[in-house]
Amino acid sequence: MVYTANPEMAISTRGLRKSYGAVEALRGVNLDVPRGEICAVLGRNGAGKTTLISAALGLTEPSAGSVSVLGRAAGSLAARRSTGAMLQDADLPDLLTAREHLTFFASCFASPADVDTLIQRTQIGDFSDKRYKALSGGQKRRVQFAVALVGKPDLLFLDEPTTGLDQDARRAVWGRVRELADAGKTIVLTTHYLEEADALADRIVVLAGGRVIADGSASAIRQHIGGALIACETNVDETAARALPAVRSAQTRGRLLTLLSDDAASTLAALLRDDPALKELSVSKPSLEEAVAALTTEGSTGGELAPSENPRAVAGGQE
Amino acid sequence: MNRQMLSTIGAETGAGLLQAVRSPEFVLPTLALPVAFYLLFGIVLSPGSGERAAYLLATYGIFAVMGPAIFGFGAGVANERERGWLNIRRVAPVPAWGFVLARLLVTVVFGVLALIPIYAVAGFVGDVALPRQTWFLLAATHLLAVVPFSLAGLTLGFLFSASAAVAVANLVFLFFAVLGGLWLPAALFPEFLQAVARAMPSYHLAEVSLSVVDSGQAREPLTHLAIVAVMTAAFAAAAIAAWKRQENR
Repeated sequence: MVYTANPEMAISTRGLRKSYGAVEALRGVNLDVPRGEICAVLGRNGAGKTTLISAALGLTEPSAGSVSVLGRAAGSLAARRSTGAMLQDADLPDLLTAREHLTFFASCFASPADVDTLIQRTQIGDFSDKRYKALSGGQKRRVQFAVALVGKPDLLFLDEPTTGLDQDARRAVWGRVRELADAGKTIVLTTHYLEEADALADRIVVLAGGRVIADGSASAIRQHIGGALIACETNVDETAARALPAVRSAQTRGRLLTLLSDDAASTLAALLRDDPALKELSVSKPSLEEAVAALTTEGSTGGELAPSENPRAVAGGQE
Repeated sequence: MNRQMLSTIGAETGAGLLQAVRSPEFVLPTLALPVAFYLLFGIVLSPGSGERAAYLLATYGIFAVMGPAIFGFGAGVANERERGWLNIRRVAPVPAWGFVLARLLVTVVFGVLALIPIYAVAGFVGDVALPRQTWFLLAATHLLAVVPFSLAGLTLGFLFSASAAVAVANLVFLFFAVLGGLWLPAALFPEFLQAVARAMPSYHLAEVSLSVVDSGQAREPLTHLAIVAVMTAAFAAAAIAAWKRQENR
């Protein structure tokens, strides 16, 4: 297998593709994540986030292209020795306790974390001696998080780490992730909570349709989107709205039509002309969540799809 | 194999046994069924016939280890795969064969636990009297059967969903047991069924263990052993192919 072994990079992919039958989950991803970075991978369901992580972990063989991890082939024993992962839809055996799970995983590493210390640091002591089966969804997630840390990994993959966690538990995970980043570890996480990406990540990579469509800091992505978000209750439908002046994207959310506009004044003028009776009008700056929603809408409708070789680099210096 | 690997396999075997101890509702029937069958067919329904008790001891011993192997690997691996546990396990820096070996060791322990009551019933109730080394040779033969059946189970575990794997494992289990001549001697089968029996690994394993208990009759243990080896290799190849297939999905 050909792969770019760059030890400076925690993850390096080149032209990474993965097809499942007729479905192309990844369509040529070039991504370099330097060591020490917290990188959030965002995108809708089916954008390719989990496939990207699976490929980097060696759980799935790429259809084309290469992926290396810490300068080694993804999935090799050497790469796995320095990697930890919290997967999506992956459960531990029901009949063992968290402590037993951690003890087993510790046996897989040459110099693992101390199990008691790890239990204390990840704040799972209240239920570490209960069988996994008896835990709540959020508690199970936290045990999986602890399992991902047993090998004291240099690179940590967290696929939707805080789904199902309450606010306190989520903050506990965030705190631990920051500590790890401060200690020089690399963290790659996917999340549905944009707030989480905003709070944690140095860098945000947005995937849509198996391609990287934006890559930069949270503020760069927000700025890049620019424009204004117009929301209102109207009889103008999505298709008609996309034809209005300066409209970049349009979406219906419940009763509200949401438009991302490069020039709020001209869009509003046209909108009011078409539907003078519109209600509940608001105009705002897009949040990170809306910025990403707008980006992924563009990506999935295919109109302004950035070519894979040249993702919309929005970080300063990459523009 | 380095020390690291040994400790991982030890830990995983221990974890597997611990889980078994904590699920007696699955384990006890698997262990109780073979001895109950042996008691019924080998002893109660063939009174006063030590010869028949010895013959069926050889075949029911194969039957006894087959359950834990086919169900433990088949249904167990399918379930673990479906729950995503196998993926968590694959991320850990341990080669895949470590996982298989640990599971094999757990199955051997189960095999021993399933055999002990059968041997006890044979010796104390069925008046089966064998030289000490024959008992040990018989046990070794029976435990050897763990390997081909486990590999067959492993293939099922990779090919089928958790619920389908249970059904298919049951089917395979019954085929191997009945058509392999483990319940009733294959020699009593009509001609065409004997041909079917010869396609079953259970039949050849039974022939090997029969030659251990019953040296009077002319059998060809080495031929059957060679056939078992070929079938084991075929199951291993199938398991590896099934493994690779699901890895890329």
